[in-house]
Amino acid sequence: MASSAVARALRVRRQLPTSPWLFAAPGLLITGAFILYPFVSTLANAFTDRRTLIPGRFVGLANFHELLNDDMFWIGLRNSTLYVVGVVPALVVLPLLLALLVQKNIPGITFFRSAFYTPVVASIVVVGLIWVWLLDERGLVNSLLETIGVGRVGFLSDQWLLLLSAMTVTVWKGLGYYMIIYLAALANVPRELHEAAAVDGAGAIRRFLTVTVPAVRSTMVLVGALSSVAAFKVFSEVYLMAGPSGGPAGEDTTLVMLVQRTGTGLTGRVGYASAISVVVFVVTVALMLLVLRADRRDES
Amino acid sequence: MPISRRALAAAAICVVLPLSACGSGGDGGGSTDASGKIEGDITFQTWNLRANFKPYFEGLIADFEKKYPGTDVKWIDQPAEGYADKISADAAGGTLPDVVNVSPDLVAPLAKAGLALDLDKAASQYKKEYLEGAWASHRIPGTAGTYAFPWYLNTGPLFYNKSLFSKAGLDPDQPPKTYDEVFAAALKMAKETDGKVATLANVPTIEDFGRYGVELMNKEGTAFSFNDAKGVELLTKYKELYDAKALDPQALTATPESSGKKFLTGAVAMNPGSALDLGNFKKQAPNLYKNIGITDQITSTGHVNMYVMGVMVNAQTKRAPAAVAFAHYVTDAEHQMSFAKQVAIFPSTAGSLDDPYFTKEDGTDETRVRIAAAKSLKNAVNYTPVLFSEQMKTELRNEVAKALQGKESPKQALDNAVEACDRLLQQQG
Repeated sequence: MASSAVARALRVRRQLPTSPWLFAAPGLLITGAFILYPFVSTLANAFTDRRTLIPGRFVGLANFHELLNDDMFWIGLRNSTLYVVGVVPALVVLPLLLALLVQKNIPGITFFRSAFYTPVVASIVVVGLIWVWLLDERGLVNSLLETIGVGRVGFLSDQWLLLLSAMTVTVWKGLGYYMIIYLAALANVPRELHEAAAVDGAGAIRRFLTVTVPAVRSTMVLVGALSSVAAFKVFSEVYLMAGPSGGPAGEDTTLVMLVQRTGTGLTGRVGYASAISVVVFVVTVALMLLVLRADRRDES
Repeated sequence: MPISRRALAAAAICVVLPLSACGSGGDGGGSTDASGKIEGDITFQTWNLRANFKPYFEGLIADFEKKYPGTDVKWIDQPAEGYADKISADAAGGTLPDVVNVSPDLVAPLAKAGLALDLDKAASQYKKEYLEGAWASHRIPGTAGTYAFPWYLNTGPLFYNKSLFSKAGLDPDQPPKTYDEVFAAALKMAKETDGKVATLANVPTIEDFGRYGVELMNKEGTAFSFNDAKGVELLTKYKELYDAKALDPQALTATPESSGKKFLTGAVAMNPGSALDLGNFKKQAPNLYKNIGITDQITSTGHVNMYVMGVMVNAQTKRAPAAVAFAHYVTDAEHQMSFAKQVAIFPSTAGSLDDPYFTKEDGTDETRVRIAAAKSLKNAVNYTPVLFSEQMKTELRNEVAKALQGKESPKQALDNAVEACDRLLQQQG
């Protein structure tokens, strides 16, 4: 009996080192093929002049030097940064308010929760086309504005209004997703805290600021980090609303749009597009670190 | 037994190495010899044609396989969206089909990378079967040879909305025939409608500059030249239209699809199109169809613009005789004619446009447009230079937009566009 137990233990121990690797192998292979290899390849290409059909030569930092003198790169960086500045505060605050609104279990609330979540599951292409139709020079919104005497507004022809319109779509589409995250966080806020605050005479706004916000603070940081990374990498909304050229004179181009425009097609400049991708990666990581650091400082 | 770090590294190399082989090719073309027995399996890729023409292509392939026993053609159809990206991925991955439906601008980089078969060498015996201009449309400046069989051609008239013309005090039966007349009509339309109806929906593209009579490239095909006085003149006139709202305010971001929709809804008064559009107007905008006016494409050169589709043979195909034979079979006079009767396109084969189908009136608008288009195609020109890439189109479009917005003068904008396009041309090699 004892000897068989020892033998089994030995067998288990013998299998231990290989077994985890075997279990992890499918995941590792997929990660290696679709994340690590493209990442390393992009990094390597950023230092070459590779084109779609022409293998590149090592050019050192030439692509990065070119970036510094490329007006379109600075336009892309400006727009991607503006997108973060415009979208992230809205996506941190509005879904929280929405979650508070639909948190209570009253009859019919499930309908509203589902309604707010619907844009998340809708195809971005369909959503984009609907918004283009709404905001067109002769669309529904402009017709209403004309009826009330405001006149037509160039939502899709003015570079700043176009960017603002795209941000609105991003916020509208993201509200439901972050609302669900906040709902989960709000469910963990002890009711006693609210009751104690109410007994102490705190009103609804004060309870929100002194009880709810501190309780969901870490979730707000998470939402801030997730939405800032997504906002910096924005592509679909701007592409659909501003067109492939990136708005009037390309003034609404974002960095990811620039990567797509530069690096794809039969004459794509893969090396240069990779250099832009590296910049996007560095800024994205920096944004994450910034948000996490701010959180840690606040905690301390 | 624990896995050593060395074993892990070896495993990682085994995973990564095959992947790293997925680089691009470009080491020169294969053989240009297409003689030999016509047999074997080949793949044929079309550009968004399966949805509407499945029976036609299945019949065509079956006939070919019957004519050449021992051949097997596998037909692949790709969606219109992202077609160039699909070809570039296939070309880079070494999986380009044997016979590929292409346009001249797609052929150019493939030919330069040695992936398109030179038909002047491999299939010169067929050259005389095609219209001279159509055969030449797949030649690439800076290289010797022709890299695709010409397939179908298309061109189209300028449609206008007679009702909008009447409301603006313009004669609906006397449409503009020259650029000056178009510009004058557009300014009047904008004035009479208080800027609510624009006449044109698109900013000028490279083919517009070509039709206006601008020299687009130097003779050697090594540099662009559309910033000459004529080019500046055209852009200056468009700037006047934009300021007067005779050019749609959303023209700066318009696509052919979006401007087509604007014409359908009566937001713009004129739009270029093809015989295909008439059926579309009838179905989607019956009121517009009742008021549709049709006039000739405006050109200052005497030559209208045409679009050319081609069929290319992969230079690295292992079945060159079968691939060349099939590409020729798809594009020969008999099959082009039969395809033209399925859809409003025009054959690129010599003499086909003299067929009664393209010359005999039957009183319908469709036939009238078809006959006019076929007549104009005989001396039409594909104005878009084959070396003008998507990136160059974006550069030109953005500079034109800056000029229209008044951020740059037309001269400065075109100078910048030429400089950017020349730089991209040099980088293409």
